[in-house]
Amino acid sequence: MIKEKLEKIKNQELSAKENVENFLAKIEEKDDEINAFIEINKKAVEEAKKVDEEIKKGRNLKLAGLVFAIKSNINVKGLRATCASKTLENYVSTYDATVIERLKKEGAIIIGMTNMDEFACGSSGETSYFGPTLNPRAKERIPGGSSSGSAAAVAGEMCDIALGSDTGGSIRNPASHCGVFGLKPTYGLVSRYGLIDLAMSLDQIGPISSDVYGVAVALEVIGGYDVRDNTTLKYKPKYELNGVENYTIAYAKEFEEICDKRIYSEFLKGLRILENKGAKIVEISLPNLEKGLPAYYLINFVEFFSATRKFDGRRYGYRIEEVCGKEVLRRILLGKYISQKEYSGKYYKKALRFRNLIREEILKALSNVDLIASPVTPKLPHKLGEEIEPLEMYKYDILTVIANLAGIPAGVAPLSKINNIPVGIQFQAKPLEEQKIINAMHAVGEEK
Amino acid sequence: MKVMIGFEIHEQLKTQQKLFCECSTDYMHAEPNTNVCEICTGMPGAKPMPLNEKALDAVIAIALMLNCDIKREVYIQRKHYDYPDLPNGYQRTSTPIGVNGELVGVRIWEVHLEEDPGKYDPITGRVDYNRCGVPLVEIVTAPDISSAEHAREFLKELRKVLEYTGVVREEGGTMRVDVNISIEGGARVEIKNINSIKGVYRAIKFEIARQQNLLKRGIKVKRETRAFLEEQMITKAMRTKEEAQDYRYIPDPDLLPIFITQERIEKIKQSLPESPFEKEKRFIKQYGIDAETAKVLASELELANAFEEVAKHVDARIAALWIKDELKRILNYNDLTFKQSGIKAEHIVELIKMMQSKEITQKTAKKIMEILVKNPKSPKEIVKELGLSRIADKESLEKIVEEAINENKKAVEDYLNGKKEALNFIVGAVMRKTRGRADAKIVLELIKSKISA
Repeated sequence: MIKEKLEKIKNQELSAKENVENFLAKIEEKDDEINAFIEINKKAVEEAKKVDEEIKKGRNLKLAGLVFAIKSNINVKGLRATCASKTLENYVSTYDATVIERLKKEGAIIIGMTNMDEFACGSSGETSYFGPTLNPRAKERIPGGSSSGSAAAVAGEMCDIALGSDTGGSIRNPASHCGVFGLKPTYGLVSRYGLIDLAMSLDQIGPISSDVYGVAVALEVIGGYDVRDNTTLKYKPKYELNGVENYTIAYAKEFEEICDKRIYSEFLKGLRILENKGAKIVEISLPNLEKGLPAYYLINFVEFFSATRKFDGRRYGYRIEEVCGKEVLRRILLGKYISQKEYSGKYYKKALRFRNLIREEILKALSNVDLIASPVTPKLPHKLGEEIEPLEMYKYDILTVIANLAGIPAGVAPLSKINNIPVGIQFQAKPLEEQKIINAMHAVGEEK
Repeated sequence: MKVMIGFEIHEQLKTQQKLFCECSTDYMHAEPNTNVCEICTGMPGAKPMPLNEKALDAVIAIALMLNCDIKREVYIQRKHYDYPDLPNGYQRTSTPIGVNGELVGVRIWEVHLEEDPGKYDPITGRVDYNRCGVPLVEIVTAPDISSAEHAREFLKELRKVLEYTGVVREEGGTMRVDVNISIEGGARVEIKNINSIKGVYRAIKFEIARQQNLLKRGIKVKRETRAFLEEQMITKAMRTKEEAQDYRYIPDPDLLPIFITQERIEKIKQSLPESPFEKEKRFIKQYGIDAETAKVLASELELANAFEEVAKHVDARIAALWIKDELKRILNYNDLTFKQSGIKAEHIVELIKMMQSKEITQKTAKKIMEILVKNPKSPKEIVKELGLSRIADKESLEKIVEEAINENKKAVEDYLNGKKEALNFIVGAVMRKTRGRADAKIVLELIKSKISA
């Protein structure tokens, strides 16, 4: 439990150094198989010693000695931010992302950079240039993606907390498949400064942890206004772990059609847990739900095309189109195609209109309730290495892209297992109502 | 033959910091790649900071001076193209800030803000990112210009207005112009990246001649983009319309829309100087000077201000003439602006007063003006240091006049034979001997009396 460990470190019953060393041993033992990390921070022990000194001096650090794993699309000075791509194979960050600065300031230790789908373009963790990541809780299955290594590092007990990024579900999808907690914050709650872009208007950095306390405490530290990200909100987050008494929690009738029967039946059990804890469950309708996916992908392609123009081969070694994997190339070429002047009205602008439609629909639905609960993915993770069509792959995201399109927060808590494969439950709330999501995640988490 | 010319004019704005980061805008004097950061070099993951508000104010000021309507909602867009000087692979450029403007009969279509790219040297292959992110204003005109001469006149007027606003960079050579030119019977051609008014003039002259030549030979003129080659003063094909670049503009998701309030516009309006055109009109009326003189005085804001200051202390018309005929001539000769020369209004007042009180001659005054341009300080001191005060006492002059007469017998003879102008020659000789300090009237009297005696 993260809270108890934090207390122990603060009380000097456990040193930051020991905490790091324990995890390094775990990584040594497990990660050849799991492949959650691309690079380990060689200075982690040294940095932990410094944190221990600070603790001895009596400094109150919010994350004293906790060990973080960082997705490889977030800049950590001196470590490689490869985006799991050959394109940035040798790119060593020259600066810390804002979230990293904030973590370090509160005594967190960065243990290493995690594996991911190349440039975060994927939902399975299989498209990394550095090889796929295994799901520590269901090893023949994919861990989900794109924050595959971050979720696997948490599930495999190779760190306390991990940071991932979520553009259309990339934190929540692997958190669900790996049976851990993950939260995509309100767009603008967490600074994107130092996050290598997938789709700028959708990307958010968020925490993944083995319990909800870990998610909440990490989000408190990394959240808040940053002058280096124009889209951040002037808001300082502070969270507690409370219950869901008197919450009205909605679910949409459309979920049933979309989802695997087994997943839907587990989801209904999840609703009953919440009901037993005092929440009121109501049914709503989200008729535009299925428009989310095409709108999401069109916006994603266009913004990704724009974001990757800097990888032109002049500064970082390779031109992206020449060395990237199939999925990254597909998105760049589609983005290039649909952003042509002659098609802008036909595709991109239409996608932006759909986006508004979906945002309005979900905000309207949320105006009457505290939370919308849903399954996380409509199907169970496929077997590692199993060939699936791009459109099949995109379908994993149907229930998660809505939160990104609408800019609202969404969190995932582990719910149960189907054939030994973890299944999570998702909660969405109004902008900046992460507290309600954390409470619901807590309520479900207590049952485990 | 009808010619239609429109411009896209870029000028750097005078701000301390770049458009989207806090780096210094000094790219001219700093060592290459020293005024850079993650943001302006587009490192992976870096994001722009909020737009530099001073740069936005500057563009609003320029748009207002060009009689534009100000757009209340502005977006920053990404304009994609692939070039070594562009670290992100796109340039950030705003949607129009000013629209529907007008200057000396030329319609201004739009005025917007954008960031300068770095500097790429194709020979060494090196890029200097110091300039990357320096704010630029872009002014787009309607095709209302009809000739190379008209183009030159308009650009001079525009530059004057821009200088008046005080928000553009003063170091010369930062104006970059793209010319759109359509010639009756020919085709629309864009000429890129011309760096001077003279260059624009020559490019247009060349382009008209080139198209006329093709037409004469019955060759169809291609619609294309051409580059101006400064050294050869010709234009050269870059790409045809079919190869035209698609910049794939998208609103930059990293930046929020900008809302310009009425209060902000009003505040900037209050701070704007009178336009050169209005100033000329007022000068003519208020000081009773002619249009040509008023135009010269208003050609530079600091010069106009200095004139008004001088006019408080001495006769405005005399001041106007001296500034127009002497000061401005000398400034032009030395290729200096009034501001660059460092001359102060009080210097001019002192000079004119000394002349009026006959402490110095007109000729000396002109000489002092020349010295002032290079070494601005009190004219009184200059007179003292160089011994330039007027020589008016007859005794000192008599000896010099005699010398001059003796050395110029031929002129004396001519004069006595009725050739009156010959006298001027002798006066000139006296002036040379006294370095212009002799009182011309007394000298003339002395010569006359000596010769007739």
